[in-house]
Formats: sequence, C-alpha cells, structure tokens
Amino acid sequence: MSADEDENAAELKIGEEFLKAKCLMNCEVALILDRRLEQLQQMSDDPTNQMSQVFEKSHQYVKRFSRYKNQDAVKQVREILSRNKLAEFELCVLGNLCPETVEEAIAMVPSLKMEDDHMLLDMDPLTNMVQLSSSECSC
Amino acid sequence: MVFLEIGMNEDIVVPFHMLDLERLPLPKVILLNLLHRISCRKASNEHGYYIAITTLHTISELHQDEDTGAILFTVSLSCTTVKPCKGEILIGTVTRILEDGIILKYGPMSNILLSETRMNDYELDMSEEPMFLNVNGLSYIKKGTKVRFKVLDIKWIEREKDFIIWATILGDYLGPI
Repeated sequence: MSADEDENAAELKIGEEFLKAKCLMNCEVALILDRRLEQLQQMSDDPTNQMSQVFEKSHQYVKRFSRYKNQDAVKQVREILSRNKLAEFELCVLGNLCPETVEEAIAMVPSLKMEDDHMLLDMDPLTNMVQLSSSECSC
Repeated sequence: MVFLEIGMNEDIVVPFHMLDLERLPLPKVILLNLLHRISCRKASNEHGYYIAITTLHTISELHQDEDTGAILFTVSLSCTTVKPCKGEILIGTVTRILEDGIILKYGPMSNILLSETRMNDYELDMSEEPMFLNVNGLSYIKKGTKVRFKVLDIKWIEREKDFIIWATILGDYLGPI
C-alpha cells in the first residue's frame, strides 16, 4: 500500500493538488459535463467517438448522484456553504453527501469539529441546503 | 474523490502536413490534437483521472522542438479531474460480490475493494442472489447497491494508468444506502 502515509482527508491533511486546485461538487461537474457534451454534439455527428471512457463514466456518476439539478440551485448551495469558514475540500464533501444532522456532518467531515468541541459549521444553512436537495433530489 | 479544476500546460505537436491553413483553421487542429491527447492519457498519479477540458486559455506562437524538429504549440488550459484521497467518504455502487468481499465502482474508478473484514456484521449469503446480509437481517449489500464507504488506502498502478482503492464501512453512517 503506497498512498502518502500522512494523507488523511478526515484531518484535512490532503495533497498539494487539492489545496492548489479549485474543488468542484458533483452537481457542478454535472453542469460542466452536460455543456461539454452539447459542444461535442455540435462539433461532431458522432459525439461518442470524441468521448473517453473516463468522461462517460464520470458523467453517468455525477448525473446519478447529483443532489441539485438546476444551475440556480447549484449556485445557491455553494453560496450557503461558503458562508462558513470551510476549506474547499470540506465544502465539496458536504455539498456531495448532504448530512442531515450535526453528528452525521462530523462523521463525514471530522475536520469540522474543533478541539474545544465547537463546530466550524453553522447547521441552519446546512438544513436549508438539505431542504433544497429534498425538493430536487431524484435519487 | 473530490473533483478538481486544475491548470495545465501541454505541448501539442502538429504534423507538418496539417499546417495547411486553407483546409482547417489552425486553432481547431490544435484543439482536436489536444482533445485526443487528453482522452488517451486517462489518468496520472499527480492529477488523477482526466475528465474534460473546461477552458482553453492561450495558445503560444509556433515553435520548433530543437531535438526532433517537430512543430509545437504550448497550450495553457483548465481541466476537470478527479483523484482519490485517503480518509474521504464516498458513495459507490457494487459491481461484484466475491467470497471475501465486494468490488465497487465510483465514477471512472472500477477497482474499489471492500474486504469482508472491513464489513462488521455482514455475512455472505449465496442462497439465491449473491449478497452480504447483515446479521440482524435488516440490510444487505448486493450487486447494484449504493454503499457509503471510507477510503482506507490507495495505490497507483503505472502500467494500467489506474488507481486501486481499499475501502471500509466500519464507522458511523457508513454502509448501504
């Protein structure tokens, strides 16, 4: 086994690539890949010829597991989560998994809990986000 | 795996015979070559799986490789990738039930191994359809089941251009959903 020994997302000890790059939620990637597919369809009679297996499988995944379908909802989710002092990585994990309780949020993203047991996350906006997801969710 | 948008620079070689501007605009030739290159690359240990180019920022002036004499254009772009990270929580789908565990898939990743030793209170049941059944009988894991799991460890396989992930569902809020 050979992943970096120090790497641990639970403690936000993540690689340089996660810190330097912009992190994206599943729903954001779904919109990007939908647009990309439209462009491929315009460029070619057979867009599947231009698509890699990685593209197809990723597109299938994010379409299936995205909690939010329309662009406005996706923007709203990022805005809601950005009000908290979260790392990009934490924001995306919460946006993907949509925990419904404090306990679940901490279980999914242990780095949210500070040493003095205070939460880095205000749960009220998160509750709003879950409600938004319930009204949109098709999974 | 969290999806990333990364910045990259790529040197695109354009065959001399394709530099005929009357037949196809040069930027389109470069873009087609770039798309083909990224789609063939599949993945790397540094960036993860290359999914799609999102933005083409700049294309440099034509220059020549001093060693090979090839015509090159340096392209600056943004690309969506996805890379696994140890300790993160993901939702995958079961693809195979084996005697000693389960294989899951997540997006472009199809080598996610969940050993039965990392599945407390689940036992293999081969009676009708193969599945792992919880000893309390209240839940099961079979082909097609969605499972929330934690990434235990990751290995990059250079010759396959692929990752192997070892998973666990030992922990709160983990397991079939």
